[in-house]
Amino acid sequence: MNDRQREYERLIAPIEDRMMRAVWRISRDPGDTEDAFQEALLTLWKRWDRVQRHPNPQALVLHICINAAHDILRRKVRRGRWIEAGAIPEDIPDSSATALQDISGAEESAQVLRAIGRLSKNQARAILMHVVEEIPYGDIAAAMDCREATVRKHVARARARLRTLLAQQEQPSHA
Amino acid sequence: MHDDMDEMIRRATRVEVPAGVEDRLRGRLMEFRTRVEQRPPNHRPVLRVMAMAAALLAAVAAGLVLIPRQSSASRVYAAAAAQLRSCQSLEYTIVLNATPYVAVEISFLAPAYRRINCSWGIEVRADGTTGKQIALFHATRNYVAEEGKQVQSSDDFLEQLRSLPQAADEMLGEQWAGGTRLIGYRLHKAPPNTGISGPQAFDIWVDAATRETHHVDITIQEEGKPTHQMHIQNIRSGAPIDRSMFDLTPPAGYTAMVKPGPTDSTQKTWALRPEIKPTSTVVAVVVPMSGSYLQASAALQQVEAYLKARGVTPIGPSLGRFWSEQHWETGYPVPPGTQAEAPFQVVSLPAGLAASVVVRRPWGNGSDSSGRWGAFLKSVIEQGYQPAGPAMEIWSGEDARESTQSTEMRMPVTKAN
Repeated sequence: MNDRQREYERLIAPIEDRMMRAVWRISRDPGDTEDAFQEALLTLWKRWDRVQRHPNPQALVLHICINAAHDILRRKVRRGRWIEAGAIPEDIPDSSATALQDISGAEESAQVLRAIGRLSKNQARAILMHVVEEIPYGDIAAAMDCREATVRKHVARARARLRTLLAQQEQPSHA
Repeated sequence: MHDDMDEMIRRATRVEVPAGVEDRLRGRLMEFRTRVEQRPPNHRPVLRVMAMAAALLAAVAAGLVLIPRQSSASRVYAAAAAQLRSCQSLEYTIVLNATPYVAVEISFLAPAYRRINCSWGIEVRADGTTGKQIALFHATRNYVAEEGKQVQSSDDFLEQLRSLPQAADEMLGEQWAGGTRLIGYRLHKAPPNTGISGPQAFDIWVDAATRETHHVDITIQEEGKPTHQMHIQNIRSGAPIDRSMFDLTPPAGYTAMVKPGPTDSTQKTWALRPEIKPTSTVVAVVVPMSGSYLQASAALQQVEAYLKARGVTPIGPSLGRFWSEQHWETGYPVPPGTQAEAPFQVVSLPAGLAASVVVRRPWGNGSDSSGRWGAFLKSVIEQGYQPAGPAMEIWSGEDARESTQSTEMRMPVTKAN
């Protein structure tokens, strides 16, 4: 095994599944996911030297994946392409409680993702890394190249913004 | 409150990647992995600065031998040895004791074509697939074509290079040759079946960048005999090679010699032992020549006629000096102060140490002469001397009476290190 192979084994191999999940969770479309994943890998290729030297390279790699997926999500939301069809099953097999819960869950998921798509880049990335990927604040700060306090601030503001956005999304349906 | 929002986010993102999507993403990862593994070493500016600083440091510490990591260096040697073993063509020159006067060019082309071209005028071409060979005596434009022969000396040297062991015994460090970084390796014993006995060292210098053998220094030290060295240089492996150099057809203008019988002089093993003696300065009028040595007789007649017309009487027998077939001269020793006009020249053969032996045989038998010079050189080396000038022949006796003819073989020499 040469040095490059060892680098890959150390940096990427242990988190391959997390990388794929991180992108799919946000983009939720096969084509978009593949595009975002490819974009993330391209970024990794360009910044490979930085990734190697990073104090927490795996946090940085996941950050890059989340960035790529969130970029696509933001573009879709801005252009109004975010439709629930990808999140809500078209064929509802029955009217059981489980099926209704699935629909409800799908709706909630779509609303949350749409709201995340409207967050600022830093807020979205900070809260996704902290809540979804469960990465400690310190590592997120290293990945985002900012102070830990800044990350906490991004996360707090993201929560507040999401509440507002989700509330706005709910209002028309209750009106 | 935070927990509620965080939990909602988690619920919204708690999904598994569909199998079809995962397959496609894994395909992307495989491509990425391949690219990473083939990624060349980075050249960050900061490292370039460090490299420049290191280079300056190295320049200050001139003479310091930097030895590369063993593992990497061993791979360099192994690659060079493997390349020589597997190459389809190989050419190189063997030089004795770093003197240009004794050199042998060896060429090999797979599967078994070989050629040796000796600086003293013998060329042997052999086709190992049919056992045929032709020996060319360029001095006299003769050839001998034979079958079922082995080209012993070329086999020895060829096999040395083509049968190098996979690992060297010792690393010698680095040296630079004309901007090329070389890494040296030593074999303490010659590769097997190479015909060289006695303690010796094979120092193989490999181009660190191309991992091809650059040159080889061979030190031979047999018990009771002086140390001498051979250098294998101008090594070209795997390069396109001119197939015509292995052509067994006699060149135009060459005549066949009768196949020598067992009692003929060409089959005789010469056992010359030249005397090492000081020689005095000789002034001579010569005519510079190139091409066949068969012109020697006619050239001497020109010099003789010229001297006679000038009223100069030669003070000794005729002589010739031979650097190569492209550069040789022949003439007569004359009194100091003699003048000459072109194309004739006055030359001074400097005083010094020379190896000399007189052979009392008729002049001019080409193959005979070639064999004698091989034995002459061998003896010179075994006596602890090395050539320091061109081969020289001094022809005494009468033209019409072969029984009076003799040839003094002489060569400037110096003590070997």
